Amino acid sequence: MRMLRGWRRALLVVLACACTWGVVEILLPRRAARASGPPDYVTTGVFTPAHPSVLAAVKDFVDIHPEHPVQPIAYTHTMHLAKGLPCTFCHVGVDQGPEARIPGVTVCMSCHQSIATDRPEIKKIAAYQARGEEIPWVRVYNYSGSAHVRFNHAPHIRAGVACAACHSDLTKQTTAERKIDLNMGFCINCHTQKKVSIDCETCHY
Amino acid sequence: MERRDFIKISALSGVMATLEGCRSAEKQLIRFIPEEELIPGIATIKPGVCTVCSAGCGLLVRVMQGEAEVVRHGQQGLIKMGLAKKLEGNPQHPVNQGKLCARGQASLQMLYHPDRITHPIKRTGPRGSGEFQAISWDDALKEVSAHLGTLQASGSANSLGFLSRPLSGQQGELMTKFLKAYGAPPPVWYQPFDEAVLRQANLFSFGHAALPTFDLHLADYVICFGADFLGTWNSPVAQSISYGEMRQGRPGRRAKLVQVETRMSQTGANADEWIACRPGMEGVLALGIAHVILAEKLAPQAPGSRPGSLIDGWQAGLPEYAPEAVEKQTGVSVAVIKRLAHELAQSGLAVAMIGGPPLAHTNGLFNALAVNALESLVDKSSILSFTPQTGDAAPVQATLAALHTLSAQPPQMLLLYEANPVFSAPPATRVREALAKIPYIVSFGSFIDETSVQADLILPDHAALESWIDSVAESGSSRAVASLAPPAVLPLHDTRPMPDVLLGLGRQLGGEVAKALPWATYDAMLRAAFVPLRTRPGSIDVKTDDDFWDAAQTQGGWWSSPSTSPPLAAVKRAPLSAASPQFAGAAADFPFYFLPYVSQSFADGSLAHLPWLQELPDVLTSAMWSSWVEINPNTGDRLGIKQGDLVEIASQQGSVRAAAVLSPGIAPDMVAMPVGQGHENFTRFASGRGANPLSILAPLTEQETGSLAWAATRVKLVRAGGPEQAKLVLFAGGMSAFPHEQERR
Amino acid sequence: MAHKWGMVVDLDRCTGCEACVVACHAENNIPTAGEDQAARGRAKHWIRVERYWEGDFPNPRVRFQPVLCQQCDEAPCEPVCPTYASYHTPEGLNSQVYNRCIGTRFCANACPYNVRFFNFYNPAWDKPLQLQLNPDVSVRSVGVMEKCTFCVQRIKAAEIQAEAEKRELKDGEFTTACAQSCPSKALIFGDLNDSASEVARLASSNRGTKLLGELGTKPNVTYLERGTWEDATHG
Repeated sequence: MRMLRGWRRALLVVLACACTWGVVEILLPRRAARASGPPDYVTTGVFTPAHPSVLAAVKDFVDIHPEHPVQPIAYTHTMHLAKGLPCTFCHVGVDQGPEARIPGVTVCMSCHQSIATDRPEIKKIAAYQARGEEIPWVRVYNYSGSAHVRFNHAPHIRAGVACAACHSDLTKQTTAERKIDLNMGFCINCHTQKKVSIDCETCHY
Repeated sequence: MERRDFIKISALSGVMATLEGCRSAEKQLIRFIPEEELIPGIATIKPGVCTVCSAGCGLLVRVMQGEAEVVRHGQQGLIKMGLAKKLEGNPQHPVNQGKLCARGQASLQMLYHPDRITHPIKRTGPRGSGEFQAISWDDALKEVSAHLGTLQASGSANSLGFLSRPLSGQQGELMTKFLKAYGAPPPVWYQPFDEAVLRQANLFSFGHAALPTFDLHLADYVICFGADFLGTWNSPVAQSISYGEMRQGRPGRRAKLVQVETRMSQTGANADEWIACRPGMEGVLALGIAHVILAEKLAPQAPGSRPGSLIDGWQAGLPEYAPEAVEKQTGVSVAVIKRLAHELAQSGLAVAMIGGPPLAHTNGLFNALAVNALESLVDKSSILSFTPQTGDAAPVQATLAALHTLSAQPPQMLLLYEANPVFSAPPATRVREALAKIPYIVSFGSFIDETSVQADLILPDHAALESWIDSVAESGSSRAVASLAPPAVLPLHDTRPMPDVLLGLGRQLGGEVAKALPWATYDAMLRAAFVPLRTRPGSIDVKTDDDFWDAAQTQGGWWSSPSTSPPLAAVKRAPLSAASPQFAGAAADFPFYFLPYVSQSFADGSLAHLPWLQELPDVLTSAMWSSWVEINPNTGDRLGIKQGDLVEIASQQGSVRAAAVLSPGIAPDMVAMPVGQGHENFTRFASGRGANPLSILAPLTEQETGSLAWAATRVKLVRAGGPEQAKLVLFAGGMSAFPHEQERR
Repeated sequence: MAHKWGMVVDLDRCTGCEACVVACHAENNIPTAGEDQAARGRAKHWIRVERYWEGDFPNPRVRFQPVLCQQCDEAPCEPVCPTYASYHTPEGLNSQVYNRCIGTRFCANACPYNVRFFNFYNPAWDKPLQLQLNPDVSVRSVGVMEKCTFCVQRIKAAEIQAEAEKRELKDGEFTTACAQSCPSKALIFGDLNDSASEVARLASSNRGTKLLGELGTKPNVTYLERGTWEDATHG
């Protein structure tokens, strides 16, 4: 066998490492786990901040998160905001605590049990409720776990920051779209302008 | 194919495969509609009651929304629900006043424990094999009902047994009423460290068959015989609160603590003076001190020295307890005895306490009566008192004798609730053999342990935080305290609260049982028991029963207004004279006294399944996840045992092995082991770990009460291996430690 | 005046019960290492109780000493961090910024108190134990250093609440998890700059000393000497 040169050697090394890693980290533990299972009356599985797969880790690292994910219901912010619904009607808690609640199906049905009940999307919502299921909304705004950032909505609302300042103009959106990239630079810019603390521990702890 | 093509393709596909990871086919779990309205990120604080020990501290439970994997109607999914995130003490609660001990903090892990039994299960394999399979609640309850009905119909109602850990409050009442109406004997309350001796002594000395309350913040001098009152004994949080005040809470005044022990405990570490006394001779020492006080007339003999009259020779000045004789028996010098007598008498605000190992001898009652007598001589300010009771159910008292009866005459059917005698009762009680003779066993516990694994059917209870809980404080407060809490969180699994299951079974049985338990739900029974308290002066001042019930639920219970403590009055009985403690095993063959002690992490072993407690470094040794035996360094030298070596400890009953820890806090003729490890079957965190010192205890009992004399076993020691076999895990030692420098500014 | 967070540890009140240790684990999402990792020295106890034995039987003596991050004014862990993950906040805390940390572990090396703990592996919780995790506190992933933060999440929550109510923070309005649970009130937390606060009063006690103060770290934790019988009142 001729000696491999240059990029071929490098590639072979990468391949060898990848295979070894795959066997050691993935295949062997799986076999071990299958060997002795726990009794069915106990809870199984492990929670860990580790990413579920290398692909997920890579996506997180290079910040690949869909800006306008497809939602299970073709919700339209435009229509609801035009009817005068305030943001906080559905997104309860935004002025009290860190999170803005994504509303549950009960909130939707509180109106739609009688409004527009013939529309196909509304029928879908009713069907979810009838099945006892929540609508599986896909998150649009979130922080990566590795950012270890603790964003708190309430002080922003109390300071008079409009929802649209970070979430862009939703009167023009059907399902939510992440039109503004909420990276740290965006936060720091506004904090600097408004002369609010940019100390690291304000958000990262 | 060209070689380079082959390499290119393999490399590419390899990289792609790796990047994909072996992504498991994750089912998209459906999300159920939440059963409660919660705003995410905002905490609600709810009252609770800690059930981990008998102190009954009040809790505040921090509940926040989170998403849990659950099974609803047989389907797996996710649900947003209130989750208990943190426990704190309830600042309004008279016993713990906003504070909480390590075990109380850790009890939160019982709710979300991975090995909790999540639905009813029925035994499929042989008894004790741990082989169970799921059964629906309907089928399970039908089965139990049928058994109960058949037993009653065949005239064998008196052959139903109920074995439970002691329950104060209405849960115990419910069990008692159920059994009485059914025609069965009363419940067997079992707990390994049951304090029956102290309660009996207090009945004789003070007229109260209860654990005492200590207002240490009023004291200037505390002499404590054996009780680990800052650790695990009696009401540790209440005692620690008043201890803190006694030390630094009163400017210009700092009380002295003298601890008399055979082994340095966590409490002993805090003493100003630590006195080593021979095991079982604590009563003699107390009377030696009393002798000096009486002989030198250091304290006026108040009429309240009736407790003294329970000691033979008290009126004559305790002639048998002259300091020289006491020195010979106890090992404490004459000079120290005299000095302690002077200090105690001069202080005036003194208290003498006893608990723990001194009572766990064959002469335990004598030791208790002796210290009580000394206490009445030196405590002029009622630093020792008794918590007023709410009036109805008295706290239940566990005894070993009841367990013996269960073993001697096994019932036809046994109901089991959170008692684990297979683990904690001495082997001579033969509980495992007794269980094998019982045709049908039903357990209500949440976990498989050595005892519940013997069950034929398990009907898992809710966790405490998911249940209506109430408890009556036996000690720890000068007010009567009836704690109460509604469920803080919704049930996570397919479990049902044991009291409601009993009420349901009662309804099924009909007749006397249904009549005796007329409540549809357990909280209805609780309400009926609580509302009569409304008219007593106390923490809730409202006009209607409904308002009272609402307020009690919000506050975490009801407690009485401050009032005078119940009076202390000794009971007439024949005076007791000193008896030497008896030990199992001849000194020649078994040269060491053996002291199993209640562990700071695991109490009596019932908390060994909580990972926070397994990883909690023992405060005196820093050991984690381990069993160990404390040996005096001279003994270690003599027997060639080094720190960390594996040692075999053998009594007449059996042997265990554990890592050696060399400790200056124990006498050369004694060894001590913490209780709690050595479970063969108790969740993934405790199973197969360490050794159980209770498994080698001799069945010696206190001569009058029949309580287990757990400090009366003698053992022999031999080195059985090195540190690699013992696997002692210590937190300290891996880093250099700097002791605190004493520099005053 | 800006807050300056500090703590007083009264060694005469501390009983060694370790309620603080478990309370801290519960509040701060500290993972349990398990027997094997604990045997490798990787158990994380942000606050620990040390014990010092003196003397032999029958006169042994033990002293307990709770040790936690001293939040030093001249913290040795700060200058050695190449990414400023360990830095000093305007309120006097030594803050660990997890997302900046690249895991060099120089800070743990420099700390003379041994209060810094490294995540050598991704922590795992057997489900459903993770349901107990505190949403106000980060779950640290592998490669990140962690240590006591003086329950910064509680500090932030109290400051935000006070700002919302347009008032000053009151002493005793909130405290750290360890101090809250301590039955004998051995741990007192508060604002050293608030002259009326309990912690400021106790920090100036003549029983006060600093742990390893001679190293010049200027800790913000003051230890109050344990008493002796001679300190007690004689009858």
